[in-house]
Amino acid sequence: MPADGGASPLRAVIETAVRGLVDQPDSVTVTETVRRGMTVVELRTAPGDMGKIIGRQGRTAAALRTLLAVTAERHGQRAQLDIKD
Amino acid sequence: MSLTTDITDFVQRIVSAMGMSLTVRIEETPDGTRINLEGEDGGTLVRSGGEGLQALQHIVATAFRRQLGDDHRIVIDCNGFRKDKDAELRQMAQFIAEKARSTGMPQEMGPLNPYERRIVHLAIAEDPTVTSESIGDAFMKTVIISASR
Repeated sequence: MPADGGASPLRAVIETAVRGLVDQPDSVTVTETVRRGMTVVELRTAPGDMGKIIGRQGRTAAALRTLLAVTAERHGQRAQLDIKD
Repeated sequence: MSLTTDITDFVQRIVSAMGMSLTVRIEETPDGTRINLEGEDGGTLVRSGGEGLQALQHIVATAFRRQLGDDHRIVIDCNGFRKDKDAELRQMAQFIAEKARSTGMPQEMGPLNPYERRIVHLAIAEDPTVTSESIGDAFMKTVIISASR
């Protein structure tokens, strides 16, 4: 499903940002589940792209988490990013 | 498609995904690429000291680093927030430089991130009566401003 149509801004922002960071954008999958009022956004990439989304000293992962939090706040939600390896 | 178009498009897609409506304007300066976001929704990016703006800048710079090279900077501003903050930082650097000069004692500023340190070093470099250096080996470093000998 394409990341548009305003269905889930949380998934869309992570999907869009991560696809721009990795070598294999087609291997990026983002799903979300709601647990006790908290949206958990699960991110999977090709194994070789893991380092790119984590970044030096985890700074890229931190930036993704901030973008997610800012987006969630804007939509009155709370969210958490779960990077799956 | 040109690289400028690619960058503009990437920024626009992230901003839209976040549910914001902002105008994206990009300009190439001798210093690198400067992207200006404008619109009422910008408040979302600049709150909490601009952490959203900083995160967006990091993502965009990382995504295009390989094509642009390490020396090429990407700076993203939103409604002049960064411009104002940079001006404040330069003023603060000049104030601390004056203190270093009048007391003869080195003065500390920070900790600052690399972007902020660069602004401070450039501001201090304009004044031959003071010098600056960064101390530390972490991402955030303290800048020491001293009177020149």
